[in-house]
Amino acid sequence: MAFDAIFEPIDIGKLTIRNRVVSTAHAEVHATDGGMTTERYVKYYEEKAKGGCGLCICGGSSVVSIDSPQGWWSSVNLSTDRIIPHFQNLSRAVHKHGGKIMIQITHMGRRSRWDGFDWSTLLSPSGIREPVHRSTCKTIEEEDIWRIIGDFAQAARRAKEGGLDGVELSAVHQHLIDQFWSPRVNKREDEWGGSFEGRMKFGMEVLKAVRAEVGDDFCVGMRICGDEFHPDGLSQDDMKQIAAYYDATGMVDFFGVVGSGCDTHNTLANVIPNMSYPPEPFLHLAAGIKEVVSVPVIHAQNIKDPNQAQRILEGGYVDLVGMTRAHIADPHLIAKIKMGQVDQIKQCVGANYCIDRQYQGLDVLCIQNAATSREYLGLPHIIEKSEGVKRKVVVVGGGPGGMEAARVAAERGHDVTLFEADEALGGQITIAAQAPQRDQIAGITRWFQLELARLNVDLRLGTRADEATLLDLRPDIVVLATGGQPFLSQFPEWGYDENPEESLVVSTWDILSGKVAPGKNVLIYDAICEFSGVSAADYLADKGAKVEIVTDDIKPGAAVGGTTFPTYYRSLYEKEVIMSSDLMLHKVYREGDGLVAVLENEYTGALEERVVDQVVVENGVRPDEALYYALKAQSRNKGQVDLEALYAIKPQPCLSEEGDGFLLFRLGDCTAPRNTHAAIYDALRICKDF
Amino acid sequence: MLDTLLPILIFTALTLAAIGAVRRIRLWRQGRPSPVNLLKGLAAVPRRYLVDLHHVVGRDKMISNTHVATAGGFVAAAVLMILVHGLGLANPVLGGLLLLASTSMFIGSLFVARRRINPPARLSKGPWMRLPKSLMAFSLGVFLITLPTVGLLPEGLLEGSGSWLLALILAGVLAWGLGEMFFGMTWGGPMKHAFAGALHLAFHRRAERFGGGRSTGLKALNLENEAAPLGVEKPADFTWNQLLGFDACVQCGRCEAVCPAFAAGQPLNPKKLIQDMVVGMAGGSDAAYAGSPYPGKPVGEHAGSPHGPIVALEGKALVDADTLWSCTTCRACVEECPMMIEHVDAIVDMRRHLTLERGKTPNKGAEVLDNLIATDNPGGFDPGSRLNWAADLELPLMADLKQVDVLLWLGDGAFDMRNQRTLRALIKVLKAAEVDFAVLGNEERDSGDVARRLGDEATFQSLAKRNIATLSQYQFLQIVTCDPHSFHVLGNEYGELGGHYKVRHHSTFIAELFEAGRLSFAPWRGGSVTYHDPCYLGRYNGEFEAPRNVLKALGIEVKEMERSGFRSRCCGGGGGAPITDIPGKQRIPDMRMNDVQETGAELVAVGCPQCTAMLEGVVDANAEVRDIAELVADALVERPAADTSGTAHRPAATTTAEEVIV
Repeated sequence: MAFDAIFEPIDIGKLTIRNRVVSTAHAEVHATDGGMTTERYVKYYEEKAKGGCGLCICGGSSVVSIDSPQGWWSSVNLSTDRIIPHFQNLSRAVHKHGGKIMIQITHMGRRSRWDGFDWSTLLSPSGIREPVHRSTCKTIEEEDIWRIIGDFAQAARRAKEGGLDGVELSAVHQHLIDQFWSPRVNKREDEWGGSFEGRMKFGMEVLKAVRAEVGDDFCVGMRICGDEFHPDGLSQDDMKQIAAYYDATGMVDFFGVVGSGCDTHNTLANVIPNMSYPPEPFLHLAAGIKEVVSVPVIHAQNIKDPNQAQRILEGGYVDLVGMTRAHIADPHLIAKIKMGQVDQIKQCVGANYCIDRQYQGLDVLCIQNAATSREYLGLPHIIEKSEGVKRKVVVVGGGPGGMEAARVAAERGHDVTLFEADEALGGQITIAAQAPQRDQIAGITRWFQLELARLNVDLRLGTRADEATLLDLRPDIVVLATGGQPFLSQFPEWGYDENPEESLVVSTWDILSGKVAPGKNVLIYDAICEFSGVSAADYLADKGAKVEIVTDDIKPGAAVGGTTFPTYYRSLYEKEVIMSSDLMLHKVYREGDGLVAVLENEYTGALEERVVDQVVVENGVRPDEALYYALKAQSRNKGQVDLEALYAIKPQPCLSEEGDGFLLFRLGDCTAPRNTHAAIYDALRICKDF
Repeated sequence: MLDTLLPILIFTALTLAAIGAVRRIRLWRQGRPSPVNLLKGLAAVPRRYLVDLHHVVGRDKMISNTHVATAGGFVAAAVLMILVHGLGLANPVLGGLLLLASTSMFIGSLFVARRRINPPARLSKGPWMRLPKSLMAFSLGVFLITLPTVGLLPEGLLEGSGSWLLALILAGVLAWGLGEMFFGMTWGGPMKHAFAGALHLAFHRRAERFGGGRSTGLKALNLENEAAPLGVEKPADFTWNQLLGFDACVQCGRCEAVCPAFAAGQPLNPKKLIQDMVVGMAGGSDAAYAGSPYPGKPVGEHAGSPHGPIVALEGKALVDADTLWSCTTCRACVEECPMMIEHVDAIVDMRRHLTLERGKTPNKGAEVLDNLIATDNPGGFDPGSRLNWAADLELPLMADLKQVDVLLWLGDGAFDMRNQRTLRALIKVLKAAEVDFAVLGNEERDSGDVARRLGDEATFQSLAKRNIATLSQYQFLQIVTCDPHSFHVLGNEYGELGGHYKVRHHSTFIAELFEAGRLSFAPWRGGSVTYHDPCYLGRYNGEFEAPRNVLKALGIEVKEMERSGFRSRCCGGGGGAPITDIPGKQRIPDMRMNDVQETGAELVAVGCPQCTAMLEGVVDANAEVRDIAELVADALVERPAADTSGTAHRPAATTTAEEVIV
């Protein structure tokens, strides 16, 4: 049987897990109301359990103590008995569908920020600051240590009384337990540091206290690091020694292993490997831990595909696979495997929109699945067929918004035609996928292509729809998702001209799409600081160009998220791309065979020049509104979206009103330039009631 | 002159017929012994003929009436002719009856003749084309020679001078008729069917089939008797009454018309197979066979003898192995056969030899059998993983409970992700109806169905005996299963090995639960539905109603396929056919999905894991395939409390459709 290794149940302690797939602990951010889990939280996990996930470990970095910072990520707060009834709701919802649920508990020590909410004083074994959050801390005192050990035990009790199936002690990501472990952070010379046993003591006392509190019939696991990847940190051999040491107590039911430490920006990017990483890059580290322990080992990190999961499990490298982002992209992953619908799984592409939002303190959302973590609003993962009339729906534009609109309308049972001016679907995704290490983003398009084919959507590729073509189809609904064009005409001094022969600047789209050949000596001016600029820089450098990327913002790529800009920087620095900030593009003019770009320092007004042979400008997108205004007056609803209904996830009122003619909606960048998720979310919430 | 000639003709024909009969019986007796009660069997013939056989023949009213007139007329005419013209009892009353009988036979033969104008492909040609003429010759001859007996013609008309020519012609016509009807009956002419057919009814190997009974379980091979052959290698290895049965074939081709393998262009035609057995029993080649050949195999290239191998070790003998492996054991041929011939028994007998003696199970067959031997399941899965799919359901185990009302037999669908959904749905239904049930879990083994149909009787018996031993440890009122193959084997084939159980197909059980008011359903909101009768549920076990009753209870009006009920077309999944995988021109499940499509149904309800797998495997099918249990589970609503009005219909609070899926 295909996937038999995935579907082999496993016992963790006295708990039987129905399959080998885990949604590992991550901060949900949308989690809580004052640290208490909300309906949104419960529905988010219920959906995974309904979709067949074996084990959910919720609440990444949920706090056991009042002084562990919790506000920034809206952590779950286990420091009070008030949490117990909330846990009861959560566990009931997951157990109802045969799933199991545990929670990660921790004291973060010096990690996270102190400047907010309770303004808590951060703690660390030796008072050494943490770079990622720019956080400072006090040196922990003996009294704090024993207080926190007691807090761990009480938190575990609350999880148990709440009906959860276990707790995972976080000793990873440089939380307090592994701050004690790591000689890089623990410089103590008392009984809580120094020797191996000394550094292990805090974790051991926590484990003993927790186990004593919850007894044998409750799972207690530890999430540990496989190798901190710091010369002065814990190596794989150290971690093996540590894992074996705790395993020997017989008090640990499972280990979760994360490759890489994460107290610097660069190591943090390893922890949630984005699309630039190979599949399961740190599996060997987890397999190394499995060699020395006697209990099941869980490993996540870039395991997204059922075949990959099967191969890892079949090979016996680890006992359970974490498919956490895979479940954010598609919480029905397991059900689809079981239904023989592997091709219908919306596969995570590693865009890390989810985790990069989390690191900005925003709720975790999926770049390609707008229903995820909006289950509580009634946004569906499975679109039900409409019981109403069958409508003729015409979608214009095959980018993410248009593809989602066509998919949702077709799932509703309507007759759907999609026009796309290019020869292929994808829109801006296709352009983005041309950059080095960014090809996997095309997975978003690949899934839509398969779905639209399955749903028999009439695809008119290479066809630019005009007013007459559209009206000939006698549509009931027209959805415009025509996107936009690079906005190079904002400042005439840049020398942009519609005639490519005359234009002094080109767009990042021109470069990435291959429409314009790379220059040899290129200046990129990036006013946006998201992916396009750094992608174009990486692309050009990869083709052998000398590249300088300039921005008036604080740094090129500044708006790229925390787990993704490091992989860009690795690549850009390696290719000797020069990154300059605080400079505006003042003017471009031709001089001889070359171009001169005049840059103006934002803070001093000083001008400087660059002599180059190509100037690439990234200045965002200007909506393509022509078709909208051609159709607007003729449409029944005058192209208007009812915002109250939209935001309340209710049907657009005009759908149920009688009348002649067609309804007109526009979404995505052709309304206002935003991102992939925004376009898909617009499409889902407008089209789900067609 | 005729007065002298007629007795001579008649008694000569009878004598030759008697000699032929002895020779024919000798051919049958080449077969292995099979004890029968001779007198009781013979005494049962009229009833078996007039009731049981007529029940089958009567499905075609036209041919049934034709046969009544022709055969009834012939039997009466033959007896009266012997009395009147053979023994000289020239009584006008007998003469009058004889005229009536021969007239009836003549009218019948006109219809027989009409059927032979542009006959359908399934009918054999050759000697069968002359039969209506022979029937007419006989009936006309008898009629004419009897006219003087009743005084309708002057006595002397055929006596006078010059009339000898007329008399000679008449005698010639009569001789032709007598030759076909008496001599031909035992010397291998078309009329052989009457002689062998009557005796086949008397000595049928499944006497239980008569009187409204049903007998579909394969008969066990005696593995203890070292002298007995393991299956059938050569025609003489069949039992004598099997050989007799083959000889009864009328070559009507009803079997051919319903055989799914034949329709798919696989090298099997049940009629030809039976005729090949007849050829083998007498020795010779199939060159004289005048019906449709095995698809892709020209007639005239195969030959055999009573003691020669049926399937050649190399080259060709009587039948090629791929013919035997094409059969899906769907029993459509047996169900249609007006002579009640047991094609499937014969095929499995021959497969037993190929598998047990020669180890020649083709394609994946050997692997599946090896798996069964090593792991007790055909897929070769870890036997300890039979309940993996149910880890989150907390199923009660027989080992813990010892005694329950219902033992839920999972079948090997427990290893199949598609069937696991059916099983989960069924469990949801059982829980909703608060049925006291448990499963054997990892103690369960494959029922042995596939092993047995692939001819591996030893593995079948080993599995069966161990399952019986396991079951004997526990107490239960009945076994319920969603697998008709397990249902059939446990219910009909374990008995011979000592396991006697009340076994229910899940559709039967669900129908009973509904009848008893233990299940309530939300109104059906889906599209149009048709129902596919699984062979092993319908034809094998006669359960046609319960699944339809369940669908009706769900509010579904079934759009029946033309071939449904006892005439349902096989999905192609039985008898190990997907394992032996003999190529044809098209796939059987594709044809079945075409049947579904013809009804316009958007969903086909099934009640068998094998059917589900086969029908779902059809590419670009228009209809969804759902097991009845899934439809029931989806429709479940909480039962209205006994003391409230009928307003309590709301979805069950504890379960959802998605839960069933995963």
